[in-house]
Amino acid sequence: MRRRRSETAAAYVLLAPALLFLGLWFLYPIISSFLLSVQQVNVFHYSQRRFVGLDNFRQLFSDRTFPATVRITLTFVLLVVPAQTVLALLAAILVNGLGRLRTLYRTVLFLPYVTSTVAVTAVFMDLFTVHAALPVLFSRLGLPDVSWFADVKLALVFLAGIYAWMNLGLYMIIFLSGLQTVPPELYEAARVDGASPARELVSITIPSLRPFVVFVVLSGMIAAFQVFDQAYVVSGGTVLGGPAGATSTIVIYIFAQAFRYNKLGPASAAAVVFLLVVSVAAFAVRRFLQEDPRA
Amino acid sequence: MRSRPRRGVGAGMRPGRRVRAGVRYFLASAVGLVLLFPLVYALYVSFEMPADYGRFAPLSRLSAWNYGQVVTLVPLLRWYLNTVVVTAIIMAGNFAVNTPAGFALARLAFPGRRVVFGTVLAIMMVPLQAYLIPLYLAVAGLGWLNTYAALTVPFLVYGFFIFLMRQYFLTIPRELDDAAEVDGVGKIGTFFRVGLPLSGPALVTQMVLGFTLTWNSFLIPVTMTTQKEMFVLTVGLNTLKSQYYDFPTVTMAGVILLTVPVVAVFAVFQRSIVPSLASSGVKG
Repeated sequence: MRRRRSETAAAYVLLAPALLFLGLWFLYPIISSFLLSVQQVNVFHYSQRRFVGLDNFRQLFSDRTFPATVRITLTFVLLVVPAQTVLALLAAILVNGLGRLRTLYRTVLFLPYVTSTVAVTAVFMDLFTVHAALPVLFSRLGLPDVSWFADVKLALVFLAGIYAWMNLGLYMIIFLSGLQTVPPELYEAARVDGASPARELVSITIPSLRPFVVFVVLSGMIAAFQVFDQAYVVSGGTVLGGPAGATSTIVIYIFAQAFRYNKLGPASAAAVVFLLVVSVAAFAVRRFLQEDPRA
Repeated sequence: MRSRPRRGVGAGMRPGRRVRAGVRYFLASAVGLVLLFPLVYALYVSFEMPADYGRFAPLSRLSAWNYGQVVTLVPLLRWYLNTVVVTAIIMAGNFAVNTPAGFALARLAFPGRRVVFGTVLAIMMVPLQAYLIPLYLAVAGLGWLNTYAALTVPFLVYGFFIFLMRQYFLTIPRELDDAAEVDGVGKIGTFFRVGLPLSGPALVTQMVLGFTLTWNSFLIPVTMTTQKEMFVLTVGLNTLKSQYYDFPTVTMAGVILLTVPVVAVFAVFQRSIVPSLASSGVKG
């Protein structure tokens, strides 16, 4: 009995710093976030808050630009998640089949993930400036020769491209570790039956990787919802979410409302909506992907 | 001086296999080139004179001129110092806060363990952006805006790192704890005598990831700092880029100065961090 008590005491001593910081810098702000969404707040008179019910939400949804930010964010997620998941899976299969150079290729493909979003966005903006080599090249394929980040139609695709370019390597190594868990006997049996590589991919590789696919789609989606840095840098110090609101994601909207226009109430309401959208999407995707008789 | 023929890729294979291996290497190299190209491009342009921007200047015309410009145009050295200080504080804090927490969750039995671990898992799912405003208000209320405290204190604890350490501590044999306890060091003693010395690989992952995440972070510093001398490199680079957009060669020098430290750290440690990062997520 004494032993038990001393173990509990030891555990809480070891946990104390983490629990203290979690309380102060996670639980307290997350609860405040919900409280602020139903209060009227001014950053200069913070102590004079008052309860206003759902006024902030009413104000939020009467702002015509807010539903657009939700739509833009969902479009971004739908552009990024399938592309990066499929490309990462293909890259993993490709790299897995390499011989002694596998580690080298794995490192090279992972490298973009550790670089800074700001630095990478600056480089891509330079590469995709009007009349530069890449827009000229793409203009041969029928796209306009414009600065992609300044074009209303291309800006979001441009952001999605940068985003997928950076994250491909992370999801590739997750799939690579997944490929190590597939029993080699399955492939041997398939080869005896004369299965084609495409057939092996569909019948063995993808089903065996199911938990990894669920993880990559789910965590990739939650991360993509949070996109901010690239969109901020693209605006180049002018109105956030430019050109003409084409890259105004939910997080950009929250940031601009709170810190540029001092509308802390509606911004907090937007943050609550953001959390709801992410949670609902995560829950739905999880249900959808795991509804499988074999799982 | 080896005269023996080497058995490389494709040696002694059937022709079909050799072709397939060749195609694999070709495709993998193409993907690698696409991924590396922007970084190589930035490196090259950062050494071009502004007059040569847009064409590929011969190697003989490259110079470090842009790097000299960056240092004089903006307080780059100060931004470097800020970034290094902030990153060092967060890494030290991450080590001190998350490591013992992970140990307790993995190896000690105590009431409330499931609740604490569940909270840690939940935190990993909640985006920081959802509580950025109250975080800002709390920091502002403490008078911390434009200080190192604003950029570090709220981020010493990190749910994913607690999880990472816990997963690793679960793999260390329990007999070692019992042996240490016979020696009378107590439960906290087993953390220092057994847990810490054996946690090397997971600690390296935590440290290297903590380094890259903090070094590259942008949302927090752009929210918490408005004074130029308190900027970190990411925020500084964004300012440089908007202010001197007529001089892309100078911006590229800034890009390289921001990128080199993370790439160097990653290159040194990639062998240990890539595998543990790959397996941390799914097997939980």
